[in-house]
Amino acid sequence: MSPGEFFLQQFINGLAIGSIYALIALGYTMVYGIIQLINFAHGEIFMAGAYLGLAAILLIGSIGPIGAAAGAAPALSLVLTILTAAAGCALLGLAVERVAYRPLRQAPKLSVLITAIGVSFFLQNAVMLSFGAQDRYVPPLLPVLHARIGSVTVTLMQGIVLAVSLMLMMGLQGIVYGTALGRAMRATAQDPLAARLMGIPVNRIIAVTFAMGSALAGVGGVLFGLTYSTINFHDGYLTGLKAFTAAVLGGIGNIPGAMLGGLLLGFLEGFAAAYLSTQWKNVVAFTVLVLVLILRPRGLLGERVAERA
Amino acid sequence: MRRTASTRLLVASVAIALTMGAGCGKGQPVIKIGFAGPLTGDQAAQGTDMLHGAELAVDQAAAAGPIVPGLRVELAALDDARNPAMAVSVAKRLAADPNVVAVVGHLNSSCTKPASAIYHEAGVLHVNPVSSNPEISRQGFDNFFRICPTDDLQGPAAARFAMERLGARRIFVIDDLTTYGRGLANEFIKAARGRGAEILGHEGITQGEKDFTPLLIKVKMINPELIYFAGMFPEAALLLKQRFALQIPAHFLGGDGLFEPTLIDLAGAEAAEGAYVTTLGGDIRQAPAAGDFVRAFEAKYGHLGAYSSYSYEATRIVLEAIRRAGRKDRPAVLAAMQQMKSYSGILGTHTFDSKGDTTLRTIGIYTIKGGRFEFLEASG
Repeated sequence: MSPGEFFLQQFINGLAIGSIYALIALGYTMVYGIIQLINFAHGEIFMAGAYLGLAAILLIGSIGPIGAAAGAAPALSLVLTILTAAAGCALLGLAVERVAYRPLRQAPKLSVLITAIGVSFFLQNAVMLSFGAQDRYVPPLLPVLHARIGSVTVTLMQGIVLAVSLMLMMGLQGIVYGTALGRAMRATAQDPLAARLMGIPVNRIIAVTFAMGSALAGVGGVLFGLTYSTINFHDGYLTGLKAFTAAVLGGIGNIPGAMLGGLLLGFLEGFAAAYLSTQWKNVVAFTVLVLVLILRPRGLLGERVAERA
Repeated sequence: MRRTASTRLLVASVAIALTMGAGCGKGQPVIKIGFAGPLTGDQAAQGTDMLHGAELAVDQAAAAGPIVPGLRVELAALDDARNPAMAVSVAKRLAADPNVVAVVGHLNSSCTKPASAIYHEAGVLHVNPVSSNPEISRQGFDNFFRICPTDDLQGPAAARFAMERLGARRIFVIDDLTTYGRGLANEFIKAARGRGAEILGHEGITQGEKDFTPLLIKVKMINPELIYFAGMFPEAALLLKQRFALQIPAHFLGGDGLFEPTLIDLAGAEAAEGAYVTTLGGDIRQAPAAGDFVRAFEAKYGHLGAYSSYSYEATRIVLEAIRRAGRKDRPAVLAAMQQMKSYSGILGTHTFDSKGDTTLRTIGIYTIKGGRFEFLEASG
């Protein structure tokens, strides 16, 4: 393996893990953008998505005719699994918003933040009690295929992670900047009171934002489970923290920023492990975060906007 | 942070439930054996197997008649979630319970080491089943006994196997930065260098992480003949799977923390094929005195875990010490254990040296073939 191939192999891996970070980071950034809340339960939604994906895979496999059809067309079962997890997480996000955050809309920001941590505990323990405390094995939906270019290998799963993430990010960008719903979301983000006066159903828009962000995290969870094939009820913690870092790195509240931050974090971790040592990968990633925040306090793509009263 | 707090809450409620259970119990006074190990978290499979071994020992003893007349022997099982901070709080809880006269635990050396200081201070007999880091018994605690061989035996046995049987000279070492993993890796490296191996690199990974591909890509470029991993099965499964995806041809050899069937489930049989692990002790199914235990265990719990026999043996030793002491008294139980010259159990006849370590020093070697662990040989 030449140094060039080494770099390329690391680049491909960073791209795959970075896109998963980016998918989760979008949820953090969308929710922050619209109600200035760091939704600490978001990592748990991602983890729940991984478990919902597992449940869907097992369910699809166990229902005779569907299982046979899915066995014949693995792509179909992949799509079904992703849709199940996305829908399930969207509902979960809606429920969390309705039960835990909406009643506190007028409360101080800190109360909501603490509630978010409480929700995170709740979801972790709920998943632990219903699925067990052990690592769960996620059976592969697709055959393990490698493409080889010289000594660089790309797995089918890496390709799918990248393709699905890109499609979702482009879709989201299209919704936010190209539809009436997106305009309503942006208006609510700018000024909820004025948005309400303009006839925008602010609460419903906020709920939709939660649902969309959660659905993306759910898809991220499925891709994560299929890539690493083991999931655990506390996987949401570390990965959620990294995705949050990615969102801050890119500029929290900024959608392209979350995508950029996710990919950047994937690369940073990968290259730190590759050229320094694995022990240092988190140190490097978080040092870069600190430096970015010192030099550009609102993140890489964050805009300088005046604090709202 | 959050995980620790949430699991601590869980443990606290379990502990409260346990003490309440004891409070409104059946009238008969109890004498308790503490058990501590990872009952939740990624190593819960191994911890639960250990708990079952301890349970079986206590149940069998209770069925055979009272150990101490007038006292009911009970197991007080607590969860350390393989987290050293939790292990300390669990140890303090056990030490504070006057009914607890001895402790069997923990699994991880990183948990056993800090906890052992608390048991020592409380004067509680501490019999450890499987924490193989040699430093633990070098602390000079006279209440500490251990029934498994240590890593200053396991590391050299692994190095000998890697070099003599697999013919590996160029070796890359990975550990999980824990007391156990780092300690075992260092013992392996020392022994392998002594035999003339070239250690091409030594890196640590973090427990709980999932993406070890950047490291493995580096390993692929360095192209060693063997990868040695000192750590536990959840991380080993990911390493094996990602090594398979990158098609790294190097042999894979690991320590006893990998000897757990879940490893093969998590990695997939194809990716785990041909990996080697060293184990504490030989093949339990071939041990002459273990037949009844294996049958009783499998009849009750189904599958026999790698560490079940060790916690069973440790609990039986504790029960023997309690029987000899004949009363609920920590110093008496400890003295009875200290006077026990040797103990013949299912693993063989233990004699304890001045550090409290067993003289049974066998290290086994297994390979994974067709989705199962297959016994190869035993040394020492």
